[in-house]
Amino acid sequence: MQKTIFILLLLVVFISCTKTITPALNTAPAQLIIQGAVSDTAGPYYVSVLNSVGFYADNSYPGVSGAGITITDSTSGLRDVLTETTTGYYVTHSLVHGIYGHTYLLNVSLNGKTYTASSTMPQPVALDSVTFDKQTKNTIRAQANYQDPTGVVNFYKYSVVINGIPDKRFQTFEDRLSDGRYIQDKVDADTSEIKVNDMVQLSLVGIDKNVYTYLSEAENIAYSNDQLAAPATPVSNISGGCLGYFSAQSVSSRKRVVK
Amino acid sequence: MAKKKPLSVLFVILLPLALCAQEKHNFSVSGTIKDKRSGETLSGATIGFLDHPGLGVVSNAYGFYSITIPEGKYAMVVSFSGYAIDTVALDLTQNIVLNKSMSPTNNQMQEVVVTSSRRSNNILKTPPGVQHLSMEDIKNVPVLFGEKDVLKTIQLLPGIKSSGDGKSGFFVRGGGADQNLILLDEATVYNASHLLGFFSVFNSDAIKDISVYKGGMPANYGGRLASVEDIKMKDGSDQKFGVNGGIGLIASRINLEGPIVKDKGSFMVSARRTYVDAFTGLASDTNIKHSVLYFYDINLKANYTLNEKNRVFLSGYFGKDVLDIKSGAGIDWGNSTATFRWNHIFSNKLFTNSSLIYSNYNYNTQYTNNANNIRVSSTITDYHFKQDFNYYLNPRNKLDLGIDVIYHVTQPGQATASQTSKYNNVTLQKKYALESAIYASHEWTPVPKLKFTYGVRLTALTVLGPDSAYTYDNASNVLTSTWYPGGKVVKTYLNPEPRFAASYQLDGNSSVKLAYDRNVQNIHLLNNSTSSSPTNVYLPTSNIVQPEIADQVSGGYYSNFHNRMYEFSSEVYYKTMQNQIDYKNGAQLIGNNNVESQLMFGKGRGYGWENYIRKKTGMLTGWISYTLSKTERQIVGINNGSWYNAPQDQTHNFSVVGIYQYNKKWTFSATWVYNTGNATTWPSGKFPVDGAPVYYYSSRNAYRLPAYHRLDLGATMIAKKTARFESSWTFSIYNAYGQSNPYTISFQKDPNNPTKTQVLQTTLFKMVPSVTYNFKF
Repeated sequence: MQKTIFILLLLVVFISCTKTITPALNTAPAQLIIQGAVSDTAGPYYVSVLNSVGFYADNSYPGVSGAGITITDSTSGLRDVLTETTTGYYVTHSLVHGIYGHTYLLNVSLNGKTYTASSTMPQPVALDSVTFDKQTKNTIRAQANYQDPTGVVNFYKYSVVINGIPDKRFQTFEDRLSDGRYIQDKVDADTSEIKVNDMVQLSLVGIDKNVYTYLSEAENIAYSNDQLAAPATPVSNISGGCLGYFSAQSVSSRKRVVK
Repeated sequence: MAKKKPLSVLFVILLPLALCAQEKHNFSVSGTIKDKRSGETLSGATIGFLDHPGLGVVSNAYGFYSITIPEGKYAMVVSFSGYAIDTVALDLTQNIVLNKSMSPTNNQMQEVVVTSSRRSNNILKTPPGVQHLSMEDIKNVPVLFGEKDVLKTIQLLPGIKSSGDGKSGFFVRGGGADQNLILLDEATVYNASHLLGFFSVFNSDAIKDISVYKGGMPANYGGRLASVEDIKMKDGSDQKFGVNGGIGLIASRINLEGPIVKDKGSFMVSARRTYVDAFTGLASDTNIKHSVLYFYDINLKANYTLNEKNRVFLSGYFGKDVLDIKSGAGIDWGNSTATFRWNHIFSNKLFTNSSLIYSNYNYNTQYTNNANNIRVSSTITDYHFKQDFNYYLNPRNKLDLGIDVIYHVTQPGQATASQTSKYNNVTLQKKYALESAIYASHEWTPVPKLKFTYGVRLTALTVLGPDSAYTYDNASNVLTSTWYPGGKVVKTYLNPEPRFAASYQLDGNSSVKLAYDRNVQNIHLLNNSTSSSPTNVYLPTSNIVQPEIADQVSGGYYSNFHNRMYEFSSEVYYKTMQNQIDYKNGAQLIGNNNVESQLMFGKGRGYGWENYIRKKTGMLTGWISYTLSKTERQIVGINNGSWYNAPQDQTHNFSVVGIYQYNKKWTFSATWVYNTGNATTWPSGKFPVDGAPVYYYSSRNAYRLPAYHRLDLGATMIAKKTARFESSWTFSIYNAYGQSNPYTISFQKDPNNPTKTQVLQTTLFKMVPSVTYNFKF
């Protein structure tokens, strides 16, 4: 009796488990996704026009050709007509340098419909350095270190390039509860996303409010959807009935090799 | 003609005298009904009279009863489920006080002997939607980790749904988790769960009974839309000292009780603590490995009978939970309540109770790691005064009157951060609200088979300063901001809440009932995450957030059969709700002085059919409950303004509970539950954002989680039973066949295949065995 009880005692720990399931999911009609950005780093700049796919399909999104895209710097009056390079990807020509404080307008016409957006480039915030955090077992994360300007409302996005290849991940931050503080933010990463000896470039991207709204909602859905009581499709800053965003952003980057 | 006139005049003069001579006086019989062994008062005991069917009264929350009847000889019968029926011969010639102490019987070993089939029956006369459970009723129902739990057990009744493994809160008739008024000796308990929902804060050793009102709320209750769980603590034995307790794998508990002065006063102290963190060291996950995880709770009560007409009570509850994960995140929360009550018997017909109550709920989140260091503290404190009168006018009429005033002070968030932290210190505006109510209710029995209970509760909510009141535009920007200094009224909302219930007894064993009630709620819990995080925001009604209102109509058929061995009920309800709260996309609820700008308001509705059958006596006892229901919401701006399923919409909900007394030593029990999965929102496609897959959603809550089902088994073995000492072992297995019920479902990139996305289901518990050793002196 004694021994049985002792063994039972050992069994009582949190016994949880995970497994993959494949519930039937409807596929909505394909949605149009327009994503483009101009920044203060040298152009050219790209706008992508893609279609959504079903949940169980591959993570490759068909490009849409034949869109008429223009980006106008409404402050200077410069207007650029983009041309398609690969299917779904359109590139600028005369617009080669974004300027702080200028408002840029996107206009996309496709199949008789028009989609428009406007974004104002915020003042730059400098990223002091990138460091690496190894606290979590088997995972190395990049850390952004910078000073948030006091008295200014700031919205940020972190993006990472590993060994020259852009990492397909993004993370947002705003200074609503952190105005004027020194920020040391770790960018989430999966196990082995970053490995020792990788050359990692971390960018602190300053974005405007509407782009932040879209990106932070998208971040919640991509990475924390199990905690959302009522997940909903992120609201785009492009009007006309599509997904995606158009951002005029300021970028500050730092590189370092992981030791 | 002249000869007859004097005769008729004489008749007219003499008639009143004759009538006077025949007129009987009415006298009152009143008193308190108690348990003989422990001295605990018994609420809901029936006092009736043989050969006078339909004449009777039920003892009130403090065991007090009063009935005024014509003088004469009676055989008074006092009965209460679980106790031997007591008969007293009465020769009523004046008002008398008759207190009764009843002896408990062991229902499961004996057949119930029926002395009179025309005895009035509690079940047939209470409003629809009411359920009473004593600790005897829940004693053998197996629950998680072998701990008896009132709130877990009521979730096995029809119309009351659990929120799933590891989640606190429950849903009554489609209402939200914050729409249940949970009272412990009249004090509001804001967060009735420990350890993220595995245990409730109610230590069964300290509890006497629970009454659950799903509908037909009497006028003396108010403040929440969906239900009332009125939990009474034991008073403690005023006869002799006793110690009992239990030592289990996860938690241990101890209970002391005894007389302060025999027959006059008693006390009770109960304490419980878990030591789950003693086992977390065995976990392989490093985050869990060195975590701190514990809770404790203490229940205290003392009461003293000053004299025949006055009795005072003091009760208190203090509990705390701490969850601290090694990586530097932690949450802790705690409830404290204190109640002082004074029962005063004005006359044989008038009973009154005055209560002064303090209730406090505080919850804190912290990140201790240097760069993210912050501690956010929130509290809600209630200062509460109640005065209730029960006036037993005559056997056909009882009046209840009262006043109920609560002063709510809410501190939604106070954040303190260190110098190196990336967060600023934040202090949010405190909120002040005065919630007052007066009520009057009449219980009228015009003919013996028909009973009406009708009344009204008039509630006023006064929003007070010091505070700023804001108005917003559709884009959540602040339009105006007005400052109100301390004591100034920002806004007052006045809401009458009519209450009506009727029961008609078809025959000695069955009845039909009907009820209508309106309820108003002024404390709202904001939560847009799936976890029942204790950091959810409590917000009182304001100039923007209107009081929530619910109207419910319910009715049903109730019967006992086979010599009252079985109890059966079948009930339907329809409910509409106004000013229900939902959230804007990406709502920011934490640390936000303008949190109201993140809210959206709309309507709700729910309807259902509940069925319940219970076997109360014999070797095998238990019950089966089945509910068929629907609950929906409609909010402009969500789901294109169409009605959508509320997440807690579960079409079918089925529970079977069986308790088998094998012999004097062993009792076996089993519980099987099944419910349709909650309504949920799942993707209908995916698209890239900066190359990462993000999901597209079409409608709200159009999908269903997989059905939830689970079997729990339990066994109790009585090891030793003498007059001075009792001990027993309780064994249980939660989720005996290891069903993988989803705790969370997550849509993510496949970690082994970057070209695909996958769906990952996490189950919290598969089979969980447990052993507890119980003792009693």
